[in-house]
Amino acid sequence: MSTPDAPRPPMPVPNELTQFFWDGVARHELMIQRCQTCGHYIHYPKTICRFCQSRDLAGERVSGRATLYTWTIATQPFHPFFVDRVPYTIATVELAEQPRLMFLSQIVDCPEEDLSAGMPLEVVFEELSPELTLPFFRPARG
Amino acid sequence: MAIGTRVAIAGVGYSTVGRNTGLSSEELTIQATNAALEDSGLTVHDIDGITSVGTEPLQDGWMLGIEPLKWWASGMMVPAFAFSAAQAIAAVAAGFCHTVLALRVIKQQPSAQAMAAGTAARDNPMVALQLGGALGDRQWLAPFGAGSPTQWAGLLTRRHMEEFGTTEEQFGHHIIAQRYHASLNDDAIFRDPLTMDEYLASRYVSKPLRILDCDYPVDSGAAVIFTTEDRARDLHQPVVLVEASAITSIRDLNFEILEDMARTAPAEAARQLWSRTDLKPTDVDTAHLYDGFSVITFQWLEALGFCPPGQAGPFVEAGNTRLGGSLPVNTDGGACNVGRRHGANFCIEATRQLRGQCGERQVDGAEVSVFTTAVGPFAAAFLLTKG
Repeated sequence: MSTPDAPRPPMPVPNELTQFFWDGVARHELMIQRCQTCGHYIHYPKTICRFCQSRDLAGERVSGRATLYTWTIATQPFHPFFVDRVPYTIATVELAEQPRLMFLSQIVDCPEEDLSAGMPLEVVFEELSPELTLPFFRPARG
Repeated sequence: MAIGTRVAIAGVGYSTVGRNTGLSSEELTIQATNAALEDSGLTVHDIDGITSVGTEPLQDGWMLGIEPLKWWASGMMVPAFAFSAAQAIAAVAAGFCHTVLALRVIKQQPSAQAMAAGTAARDNPMVALQLGGALGDRQWLAPFGAGSPTQWAGLLTRRHMEEFGTTEEQFGHHIIAQRYHASLNDDAIFRDPLTMDEYLASRYVSKPLRILDCDYPVDSGAAVIFTTEDRARDLHQPVVLVEASAITSIRDLNFEILEDMARTAPAEAARQLWSRTDLKPTDVDTAHLYDGFSVITFQWLEALGFCPPGQAGPFVEAGNTRLGGSLPVNTDGGACNVGRRHGANFCIEATRQLRGQCGERQVDGAEVSVFTTAVGPFAAAFLLTKG
């Protein structure tokens, strides 16, 4: 394999459990695994529901609404792809569908001084490179 | 109120510790083992169990000439040295064996610069794998530019600040107190006094986490020998007893999506610990609380009941955790100053305090010490007493 000048992003390697999520991202839809028996959402996806032990699990589209739980400003890169991209804001967000349904992402379109725990957010799909689009979050617009 | 046979600490010791020592894991293991044996007065033939994080006990046992082994355990994704300690204590208490060598051998990790430049991958197959593609649970982190422990520490630190009003200066007070303790420890790597201005001027790694909030990566071997109380009383060192132990895991290893980042596993470990002893937080003379990142020590102060929930910041700022304060914490200087010995230093320093061997940094009359390891999904806590 040749090595291009620009570093490649750390590409996700989906497996049979997670393919639905990345297929959803490609359609600009945020998909989270949900137990079809008890209705709980589960993230990261698993092969059994930890709430009711059901094996009947499927990805479902969620609203993309969330609140900010915590964040950190990445000022030091740990991967060649991010060397020219620091600083950026890594955040743990709580998805609206279920208490403490946490999702790790980045916050965009928000100055650092405006960040605060509990602020409402909405998903936005950002193309980091031609080969990688990710679900990020920005302040909710209504 | 210990369960089973009462367990004691017979010996403690370190290898040469430092940056890129060039020493192999085997050499670090041998040096640490010999130091602990010498400290205890035991010989290798007195050992009948090995627990380890970072080496393979069956290979260690054969290499060192320990046979037969009657107990062994090894772990990697575990609360650091506390795993070795818990497995050793459990085995001695249950009677599987009588004297266990508990090890934590750790090789310095690749630097952030080497990671970012891609050069770390040349020497480390695990790093190469990470840079090649985000497999398994890393698919939820690496593409987002996350996955470094400093970044989840930044998330935990920010949550503590948001939830409780903790300030960056309060973390600074903690780091300055630790450095003061290190200045009294010949074995510490960083010993020059630190000012608040210097702390605040140190660079962010993952804001609000500063480089000075991080433990210092080194090559290190550490060994602690656990044995029965009866055997310990026949040895020449002052006896240190294990009063109570707790080890817990509250979820899988995904720190970044913990449901309650302000409390996490230390809260559960502390509940278990205090349920297994008649001693109370007010009985503790010295505390040795994991400090892989500053916020972890804050979580332990709160979890163990040394201050009210969320109040570690004011508690530290008031000077309580400094030598001479109401609860001296990390009297060796902590892992940010003695290097990442990954939890072992807290057990070893607690033991030395209870033996009265800490020289200038000795806490007079220390009879009860607590040491802890780790944060987030997993944690362990131990209460030691002067025998």
